[in-house]
Amino acid sequence: MEILDSRLKFFLYSIALSFVILFIGLYTCQIYHGDKYVSLAYSNRLRLIRYAAPRGEIFDRNGVPLAVNETTFSIMGYPLDLEKVDKLENLSRILKRHGIPMSVNDLQKTIKQQRLAPYRAMNIIPNLTMSQMADLIADVEFPKELFPMSVWRRTYPAGNIVANILGYVSEISESELEEYTEKGYMGGDTIGKTGIERSYEEILRGKPGQEALEVDARGRKIRTLDLNSAVKGNDLTLTLDMGAQRLAVSLIKNHKGALLAMDVQTGAILALASSPVYDNNPLTWGVSGREWNEIINNPDRPMLDRAIAGLYPPASTFKAFMSVAALEENAINQSTVYVCRGGLRVGSHFFKCWRHSGHGSLNVIGGLQHSCDVFFYQTGLRTGIDKLVKWARKFHFGELTGIDLPGERSGLLASPEWKMRRFKNGWMNGDTVNYSIGQGYVLMTPIQIARTYAAIANGGKLVTPHLNKAGYKKPEDIGINPDKLAIVQKGLDYVVSRGTGARAGRFGVSIAGKTGTAQNSHGADHALFAGYAPVDNPRYVAVAVVEAGRSGSGTAAPMVGQLLAHLLSH
Amino acid sequence: MKVFFERLREIFALTDRILLFSAVILAVSGIFCIYSAASGAVNSGRGFDFAMRQCSWFIVSLLLMFMVMFAGYYKLLDGAYPLYGLMLLLLLLTALLAPKVNGAQSWLGFGGIRFQPSEFAKIVIILVMSKFLSRYPPIDFKTFMAGIGIVMLPVILVLLQPDAGSALVYLVIAFGMLLAAGTPFKFLGSLVGLGLAVIPIAYFFVLKEYQKMRILVFMDPMRDPLGAGYNVIQSRIAVGSGGFFGKGFLMGTQSKLKFLPEPHTDFIFSVFSEEFGFFGNMIFILLFGILLFRVIFAGLKTKDRRCKILVSGIVSWLWFQMFESAGMSIGIVPVTGLPMPFLSYGGSSLLAIFIALGLVASISIEGANNKRVL
Repeated sequence: MEILDSRLKFFLYSIALSFVILFIGLYTCQIYHGDKYVSLAYSNRLRLIRYAAPRGEIFDRNGVPLAVNETTFSIMGYPLDLEKVDKLENLSRILKRHGIPMSVNDLQKTIKQQRLAPYRAMNIIPNLTMSQMADLIADVEFPKELFPMSVWRRTYPAGNIVANILGYVSEISESELEEYTEKGYMGGDTIGKTGIERSYEEILRGKPGQEALEVDARGRKIRTLDLNSAVKGNDLTLTLDMGAQRLAVSLIKNHKGALLAMDVQTGAILALASSPVYDNNPLTWGVSGREWNEIINNPDRPMLDRAIAGLYPPASTFKAFMSVAALEENAINQSTVYVCRGGLRVGSHFFKCWRHSGHGSLNVIGGLQHSCDVFFYQTGLRTGIDKLVKWARKFHFGELTGIDLPGERSGLLASPEWKMRRFKNGWMNGDTVNYSIGQGYVLMTPIQIARTYAAIANGGKLVTPHLNKAGYKKPEDIGINPDKLAIVQKGLDYVVSRGTGARAGRFGVSIAGKTGTAQNSHGADHALFAGYAPVDNPRYVAVAVVEAGRSGSGTAAPMVGQLLAHLLSH
Repeated sequence: MKVFFERLREIFALTDRILLFSAVILAVSGIFCIYSAASGAVNSGRGFDFAMRQCSWFIVSLLLMFMVMFAGYYKLLDGAYPLYGLMLLLLLLTALLAPKVNGAQSWLGFGGIRFQPSEFAKIVIILVMSKFLSRYPPIDFKTFMAGIGIVMLPVILVLLQPDAGSALVYLVIAFGMLLAAGTPFKFLGSLVGLGLAVIPIAYFFVLKEYQKMRILVFMDPMRDPLGAGYNVIQSRIAVGSGGFFGKGFLMGTQSKLKFLPEPHTDFIFSVFSEEFGFFGNMIFILLFGILLFRVIFAGLKTKDRRCKILVSGIVSWLWFQMFESAGMSIGIVPVTGLPMPFLSYGGSSLLAIFIALGLVASISIEGANNKRVL
C-alpha cells in the first residue's frame, strides 16, 4: 500500500514539473517573444507560388517531336489581395481596355475555382501571348499586386495523326484529385487523361516547384524565403515511326477502322492508326462544353481507338489460327483433303462457302490460299470446340495484350462455358462451324489479330505490344512445332502470291497474310487483312480493319501491302 | 424505485464536485473554441455546425459519466477481461474494414454513428491493467512482462490502422501504470533503455517519411518551411501573437486565414492561445492541474489497490495528451496529431474522457461510502 501511495505522489511532482516547463514555454512564446510574433502575424506576408513542372517531351523512334511544351504567359495574383469587389471591377475595366473581355463575374468564378488558400498564388488570366502580357503590365493602372508568370502549355505538333496514341493532358478533376492526392497533386495541376500521356503520367509529370516569398503591404514581392525549382519530367521515346504513322493515317482516313504495324519479334508498334481521328490540341488548351459534347456525342466516336478497343469478328483471318490448332492437335495433316461443293450441311442447316460454285478438293494450304470455308468447317468439326478453345487460350484470345495504352479491350474468347453462362444453352455443332471461320461469337481487336500473326511469323512467340521504346517484354513461347507452322506460313504465302490476297503483294515486297470479310449486321461487311513481310524472314506484321469496307481482298489488303512496303524500304 | 433514488442521492451527496466542475468548464470552453476554430476559412464557416455537434456529444458524455458513477467502478472492473476481448475485436475490425480518413483508418461505422474504437480502448487498457497489476504485482520480471504484453496487443492493432499517435498514448498509459503499481526502477529503467535503443531502428525502418519529417522539423522548423515545418512556424506565430490577454474570442487571425492546418482538432490549442493569450492559458493549465490533482487525490484516498493503479492510468493518459498537444503548438515537442483533451473536436475522445472521469468520481464516492459505513 505504501509503495502505491508513494508512487502516486511521485506522479504529482512529475506533473507539477511538466507544468513548470509548459509555463516557461508559453511565457517565452507569448510574453518574451510576443512582439515578434505579433508583427509576424499582423503582416502575414508569406505567399506561396506553385510552379508547374514542364512535362517530359515525347518523341518518335527517330526523334521527331510528338508532344512538346510551348511557353505562354499568365497573370497571377493572391486571393488575399483580390477579395474586394471594387478591385475586380477595376481589373475587369483595365482588361477590357486591352481587348481581354473578362467580367467581374468571370474573374470571381476563376478565383473561386482555384482558391486553395488565401496566400497561394493562382492563375487569374491564362494563355496570354508575350505581347498581350507586355501590353497589359505596361498599363499604369495595372494592379501592382498582380504579376506575370510564364507557364507551359502542351502542344502536339502532329495533332490528329497521333492523337489516339498520345491522348491529351488537362486540368486534374475533383475525382482524380481525391484519388491521387498522396502523389502530391494539387488543384490546377495538369494530368494525362488518355493515351500515352496517361499511361506514362508518372514518368512524364516531373516535380512541381514552389516558392515562398515575403511581400510588402501592397502585395509586392520583397524577397524569396525559400525556393524549390520545378523539375522537368522525363522525356519518352516511342517505338512509333512517324513516316509509317502518317502513311497509315492517310490510307485509312477516308474509312472508319484501324491500321497498325508491329515488329514481329519485339512487339514494338510502328504505326497505330484509328479512323476517324480527332485533334488533341484543343482538348489540352481547354474546349468549351459545346465542343466537348460534339466530340463525345459524335456517332463515329473519334475518341475510340479502334486499333485496341474496336471489337470485330476476325472472320477469315482466323483461319490461320484454326490451321495451327488443327495441325497441332493432329486433327488434320498436310495431306488431309476435304471436298468443297459450295457448302456443308450440318444437322438441318446448310452452311455456305463464300464461293457458291465450290472449290473442289483441297488440303490446308489450298484451304488458306482460297480461303475455303467448307475446308475449315470440316477442320473445325474434326478438331472439336474444346481443343480449339484450348488453343485460343494459348494465344490469349479474350485477354488484354498488355499494350501500354489505357482503354484496351479484351475481346471475346467465346467458349461453350461462356455460351452457357451468357445464353443459358449449350454449344451446338453449328456454333463450331461459325467459330471455324471467325464468325459468330468470337470477337477480337486489331492489335490481338496482329499479335496472333506475329506469333505465326516469328515461330510461335507471343509478343507484348508496346509503344514505349523501353517497354520490351520477353515474348511467351506458345510451343508450336516448326514443321507444322511452316505449313501454315506456306498457305499464307500462297494467299498473296497466288490467292485471295494478291492485291497486298503489288508494292514490291514479299508478303504473306490472310484476307477476311466479316459479316456486319448493321450494314456492309467489314474488310480485314493481316499480313507480315518479308515472307522468308518476317520483320513486320500489319493489320487493317476497314468498317463497311466490303471485301478484305479489295480494301484492306492494299493498305497492309503499302504500309509493309513502306516499312521495309525505309 | 426507492433504492434508485437512494442511490441517486448518495451519488450527488458524495461526488467530487471540484473534479466535475473543472471538467465541465474545460469541456464548455472546448465547445466555444471549436466554434471559433471552425468559423474560419478552412471549414468555410461551419463553426456553428461543429460546435452544436460537439455540444450534443458533451451531453451524451455527461449522461455516460453519471451512468458509470451510478453503476460503480467495480462493475466495470469485473467486466474488464471480456471488455478487453471485445476491444481487440473492434480494433481488428477497424484495421480491416474502416474507410480511410486522412490516410488512417480509425473509424468504425455503426448504424449511422461513427466512432473511434482506439479512444475507448484507452479505458479498457486501464481497466485490465489495474485489475491485473493489483492481483499480480509486477515485482518479478515475469509479471512485469505480462503487464507489457497486455498493452502490446492493442498497440500492434492500432499501428496497423496506422495510428501511431494512439499507440504512443497506450504505451505511456502502460508505463505510468507499471510505475504506479510499484515496478522496481531497474525494470522500468531497462524498459526506457530498450526504448532508446529501439528509436534509431524505428526511425529508419518503421516511421513513414512524413513522420521522420516531423521529427527533423521539430529540431529545425526552417528545414522545410513550406511543408511539415510550416505548421510549426504558423502555430508558433498564432500562439505568440496572442500576447498576454489574447486577441479575444473569434478575433484570432492565424486560424481564420487558413494559416493553421486542422485548427479545430490537432491545433486547437493554438487557436485557444491566440484568442485568450497567456492569461487564458494559465487558467486552462490551472483547471487542468486541479483536475489531475483531484484524480490522483481520489487514488490516494481509496483503500482499493486496484483504484490506486487505475487512476495512474487515467492521469498518464490525460496528462500526456495535454502536454503533447500544448507542447507541439509552441514547438517544444514534435508534432503527433493527438487531440487536446476537452478542447479538440471529436465525440469519441470526449466520451472516453468522461467515462474515465466517471470511474474516478465513482472511486471517491465508494471511498466516502465505505468510510461512512465503517
